[in-house]
Amino acid sequence: MNRHWPRAFGVLVLAAATGTAGAAPTYTVVPAQSSLSFIGTQQGEKFTGVIRDFDARIAFGTADLAGSRLEVAMRLKSIDSKSPDRDQAIATTDWFDVAKYPVATFRTLAIRATPTGAVGDAELTIKGHTQRLAFPFAWKAAADGGATLDARVTLDRLDFGLGTGEWADESMVGRKVEVVVHLTLAPAAPPPAAPGKPPVAKPAHP
Amino acid sequence: MLRSTATTWGVVTRLFHWGMLLLFAGILSVGYYMTDLPLGPQKLKVYALHKSVGLTLLALAALRLLWRLGERRPLPAPMPAWQAWAASAAHVALYALMFLVPLTGWLFNSAAGFPLQWFHLFNLPALHASDPALKSIAKELHETGAMLLIVLGLAHGAAALKHHFLDRDGTLASMLPVVGGRR
Ligand code: HEM
Ligand code: HEM
Repeated sequence: MNRHWPRAFGVLVLAAATGTAGAAPTYTVVPAQSSLSFIGTQQGEKFTGVIRDFDARIAFGTADLAGSRLEVAMRLKSIDSKSPDRDQAIATTDWFDVAKYPVATFRTLAIRATPTGAVGDAELTIKGHTQRLAFPFAWKAAADGGATLDARVTLDRLDFGLGTGEWADESMVGRKVEVVVHLTLAPAAPPPAAPGKPPVAKPAHP
Repeated sequence: MLRSTATTWGVVTRLFHWGMLLLFAGILSVGYYMTDLPLGPQKLKVYALHKSVGLTLLALAALRLLWRLGERRPLPAPMPAWQAWAASAAHVALYALMFLVPLTGWLFNSAAGFPLQWFHLFNLPALHASDPALKSIAKELHETGAMLLIVLGLAHGAAALKHHFLDRDGTLASMLPVVGGRR
């Protein structure tokens, strides 16, 4: 009886952490194979900005959409747009005001299945402006138990107070910005309370 | 009259000379004025104008050189050999700078990762990928080139005035916009 305590405790902890037993599996990002970037237009020319520093908390499983969620925190100081001058400009108060709003956040409130794939009802907060958006994404399970997540959404920079006033003029910087997400995910390590075997709560059917 | 003769420069050469001189005066003024502007769309617009005019000058320099290669040069007024040589050397150097200054500007622009658009009409490719080290070299070359252009242009212009007022030969008249030539 006593010998079984640790195992049972582990299952309890996991159940508490994810809400329901057998909930959507969680993943961690493989940074070297993941990228978060946006494509803007400056003076008729497209440029790509890469957000190098971000964390993501990902839980996803088609069997448990209610327990699935995507959460990303982006540290905007790490934006690299292949032009140090532009990166400096991007950090100023007219644009991201990075000193005051260093982090942008993204989270899904719900994820639903549609005929064309999963769609997150999400909230994106940049520079203190929170906007709701639909976030359709392609989820591909990988053989190693990991997965890839790919998405493209187009935003209007003015919705987030980016480049208002004089900068609103589109001939200099376009209003539409396409965000491109490519995440390579590894299955999250099992919690330390259950070494060895993964603590599967569901009984295996023969 | 379009072409140069033994005594005078043709109309095409004169148009190139004085038209480009006006554009150079404009782009140089803009160049020195714009770098101190506070960052904002206004600054980018002035930069865009500088680059558009600069690219125009680059294209004009190419056309001018092509035209010049098919032209004869009017016989120079009598002058000491070293002066004739200095004048020719200055002309060659001015031609070289007419290419080098805009090209280094383009290179600087590329290495800085800035976009390049000609009067809102079309975009031109970068000459090189974004590169901070190259950027500072190209900037140095662009600024030095512009400076040389001013110094040489002024010396060359002063020489032309010397021919006109001291030597009283027809050198300046042979290039003035109003058709005229050496007596
Ligand atoms: C054809 C004649 C050109 C002339 C005479 C010229 C002249 C100048 C001058 C005088 C400056 C100011 C330098 C200083 O601050 O000391 C400047 C800056 C600059 N030029 Fe040009 N330029 C020419 C063409 C171009 C072209 C074609 C481009 C780009 C495609 C260009 C891009 C720039 C840029 C980006 C700067 C700013 C440098 C900075 O931010 O410090 N220029 N130019
Ligand atoms: C103050 C302004 C200037 C004056 C009064 C002036 C005057 C003249 C005159 C009189 C000639 C004819 C020389 C001859 O017949 O041998 C000439 C030729 C020439 N000038 Fe100027 N000039 C001025 C500025 C400039 C500038 C700023 C440039 C270059 C950017 C320039 C480029 C040339 C060139 C390349 C030639 C040789 C023409 C050829 O061989 O095609 N000039 N100039």
